[in-house]
This record gives sequence, structure tokens and C-alpha cells, in this order.
Amino acid sequence: MKRFLLIVFLWLPLLCFACSASAETFTCLACHSAMKGKIRTEGAALIDVNVDGDRYSGSVHGGFDCLTCHKQFSSNPHEPSNVTNIPKNVAALASKISHKAKADPVALAACVECHEDAYKAVQESVHGRNVMDKKLTDGALCTDCHGSPHYITPKNTATSLINKKNIVKTCGECHENERLAKKYDFGTHILERYRESFHGKKYIIGHPNAPTCVNCHGSHDVKKWADPKSPVAWENRTQTCGKCHTGATKKFVTAITHKPLGKDNPIPYYFEKGLIVLLLSVFAFILGHVILEGLSEIRDKILRKGKEDHHE
Amino acid sequence: MNRELPREYLRFNVIERIQHVILFTTFLLLTFTGWALKYPEITVEHQRWWITMWGGAKTAGLIHRIAGITMLLDFAWHVIYLGYMLSTGKMKLRMNTTIIPLPKDVFDMIKNILYFVGLSKEKPKFGRFSYIHKFDYWAVFWGMGIIGASGFFLAFPVQVSVLFPAFTVNWIWDVISIMHSDEALLAIVFILFWHFYNEHLRYDKFPMSMTWITGRITLEQMKHEHPLEYELEFGDKKGADK
Repeated sequence: MKRFLLIVFLWLPLLCFACSASAETFTCLACHSAMKGKIRTEGAALIDVNVDGDRYSGSVHGGFDCLTCHKQFSSNPHEPSNVTNIPKNVAALASKISHKAKADPVALAACVECHEDAYKAVQESVHGRNVMDKKLTDGALCTDCHGSPHYITPKNTATSLINKKNIVKTCGECHENERLAKKYDFGTHILERYRESFHGKKYIIGHPNAPTCVNCHGSHDVKKWADPKSPVAWENRTQTCGKCHTGATKKFVTAITHKPLGKDNPIPYYFEKGLIVLLLSVFAFILGHVILEGLSEIRDKILRKGKEDHHE
Repeated sequence: MNRELPREYLRFNVIERIQHVILFTTFLLLTFTGWALKYPEITVEHQRWWITMWGGAKTAGLIHRIAGITMLLDFAWHVIYLGYMLSTGKMKLRMNTTIIPLPKDVFDMIKNILYFVGLSKEKPKFGRFSYIHKFDYWAVFWGMGIIGASGFFLAFPVQVSVLFPAFTVNWIWDVISIMHSDEALLAIVFILFWHFYNEHLRYDKFPMSMTWITGRITLEQMKHEHPLEYELEFGDKKGADK
């Protein structure tokens, strides 16, 4: 009896695990949750071999088999893959993104099976077109914004990268990157100017209605602002701004440009400089006056110089 | 002291005192609720309790707007009140009692500073309002124009945007934001040093001059701080006293 209990006790954690993940997943994780480090694949991608089993089972995809997405693997992934039943749409997409997703293009393309609308929007977006049409590696695909699919948590949880608290930082990962800013000419100042704006300031201190990047620019379907389909294109702005600012007019919607203060935007730039000069001179005057007056009053108290005091 | 002379002099009537109380109450509310927005990163990292204390960002914003509109109404009341007082002759424009800056104020300031550093033997003689008071008063006017107007624009951006000429629309909102935020800092520092020192911290005023409640100052104090006004009001009697 004692021995039986011991066996049950030893297997208990594994049983618990099996509750949330299938047997197949469990088989993979038996090794991959313990493995540490990175390896280089044949496609020259550096991949992390570790999958945190606990975090995986807590994620929104935690109930899936590994092979649901890692379709190109046979049940033993360490044999040469000879799988032929990859769905056509996944395979087509995988070939389009294989230059970017070197580690496992099929797995990244597999998102489309469930998230077809989102993937379609991405394909039309400036991010998706950059990868799929221009064959570049810079555009964001699913995992660039959502993080590893093993650990995606619901949007309203603090660990989600697209949670309102994290989304601006997530966009900033690329949009504050100097190399990318130079290459695509979008400038690293955009997020800085957002944070300086009233929208950004309200966002930082936690105003529930403050807009983030995605509220104006869109998310999966994000377009370059010059694209007439972009929600921030001039033609669409009255509608986009009007979501919060009811009755927004053509004149009103020019308010937000994210333009840096400086050469291109000289009036606010010199206005601010002028105000700083005014501020500092007023500060210097009042501080000097107050300090001098205080000292002179101490002097008068000590030397009893104030003869007009109490002369009656 | 001559019996004809009262012990105290009514410096500010009840309307002026109420206007002052509304002004500083709304000013403090605006400062407290607006501060987090001036330095949001620092606030979030170190002073999250400060926003929480004001009911979160949304409630703080609402308080800020209500206080701002109340302050602007108070300001309008003050200007209308002054117009009424002057037009009915209840308040007279006189050199030694007016709040309007005069060349004398510049000389007073120079003389006072010379006195501070020991280069002049005596302090300048002030009227009802010294240059210090005048600076304090007109700073509020300046702030009300700059911060009040820009704050109003920011609170109703869609409605206000119609008023701006087309060539300004690309930069006007940046200018307005800078205006509101930097001028607010100026106002806060100004009140903190100028007004607080002159009306609270001076050894003869500490912890505060009670004039804001009673509206009165003692004749002794008046003779000392506002000699020219004293002469104007009680000059003959003072002569008799001697």
C-alpha cells in the first residue's frame, strides 16, 4: 500500500500536467521543458529549444498539441520530415514568409488556420506587404507583436504584449529602432512626441480613454499614413479622430502630426525656447529678490537699523 | 494714538476676499490635479499614490476642468466688478492707491534692492500697492490670459479649432500645449516663492497675514507698509496728532 501511494504521489505532477495538455504535447515537453540553450537550425536560424511547460499550459494555446502548429514535423521531429498533409493555405503562406521565419515558417503560417481575418489584414498591411511582397525581413508578423505563441495570454492580462499598458512599448521595439527608422524613414522621434503630447501623457498616467498607437493607426491592418486606406490619411482623419472627438473637422484633425520640434516645426520650437528664457529670468528675479530681502531683514533685526519701526 | 483714528483699516471688502478665496482654492486644485500631467513618467514611477489620491487620471481631469472653469468665472467676475466699481465712482483711480503699474514702481524696486544690499539708507515709501503686490496681481492676469485661454482651448479642442486661421493649424496645438504646461510651472513657482514669501514667510507675517480673512490691517501696519496710502487717508488727522 505504501509503495502504491508513493507511485501515485510521484506521478501526480505529471497527471496534473496531462490535464491541461495532450499526451503528445506532454511527450515533447518531457524533453523541451528541461532543455536549455539555443541551437542553430539548417536554415541558419538561432532558436531557443526551451519551452516553459507551466507558462505554455497557462497560455491561450495551452491546450494544443505541438503538432497543431508545428505541422512539418512527423511525430518524431528528429527524423527527416516527410509530412505531406500540410493544408494548402498554410503551405502557401509559409513559402511567402520563409525568408523571415527561418526557424519554422509553417508554424508561423499556421496561425492563419484559426486567425484567418487577422492574417488577411496583416497581408494587406504595411507590415505584411513588406515581408510578403517586398520579401524583406523587417515587417512585423504575428510573433513580433504578440510574442511567442507558446506564452500568449489574453489581451486584458498584464503579461500580454498587446495589453494597453504594453502596446506602446511593443510598437516602440521597432519604431524607436534607429536602424529601422533610417531605413524606412519614419524617424525615432514619433513615440517621444507621442509621450509628450496630451494623448501620451494621459496614457502614461493611466487614463482609461487615452488613445494608444493602435487606436488611430489600426493594428493588423496598419497602413502607411500616406496610404489613402490608412485611418490617419487626411481623407479619413475626421472619422478616426471623430471616434473620440465628436464632430471633428478638417481643421481640427491637423492637430496631431508627431512632427519633431525643430527645423521642420520652427514656431513651437522657438516659442518653447522663448518661454524657457522667460521662465528662467522670472525665477532668477523672484529668487534673487526674496533671498536679498530675507537677508536684509535678518540684518535689520540684528543691527536694529529699521528706525521707522515703532516710532510712536 | 489719536481717538479720531480707527484701530484698523479695511483693506479688502468682502467681495474681494471671496474672489481671492475662490482664486486660491481653484489654483491649488488645478496645481494638484495638473501636476501629474506635467511630469507623467516621474509621477508613475514614484508618485502613483498622488494620482490615486485624486481619484485616478480620469477624475483628476474632471476636477481640473471644473476648477479651471470656476477660476475663469471668478476672473470674469473680478473684471466686471472692477468695471462696475470704477464706473460708479466707488473706486477711484489715484496715484497712490492704484494697482496699475507706474514709473514710480520701477524706481521703488531699484531703491528697495539698493536697500537690501545696503546701498540705500531707507526703504522706498509704498502706496496701497507696492511693486511687489502689483507684480503679484498682474502675474495672475498674465497667467489667466495665457494658461486660462490655452486651458480652455485644450478642454474644447474641436469647438475651438474652428476659430484658428488655416495657416496656424499645423503648429498651433503644439504651441498651446507648451503654453499651458510651461506657464503653469511659472505660475506655481511664482506663487510658491513670491506670494508665499511676501504674504506668509516674512517674519512679521508668519504663518500668514490674516488680511485674507478679516480684510483688515492695523493702522500701525498700514503706516509702516503703505505710508503713502496712510497719508492719503489719515494724513490730516496724523498731522493733528503730532
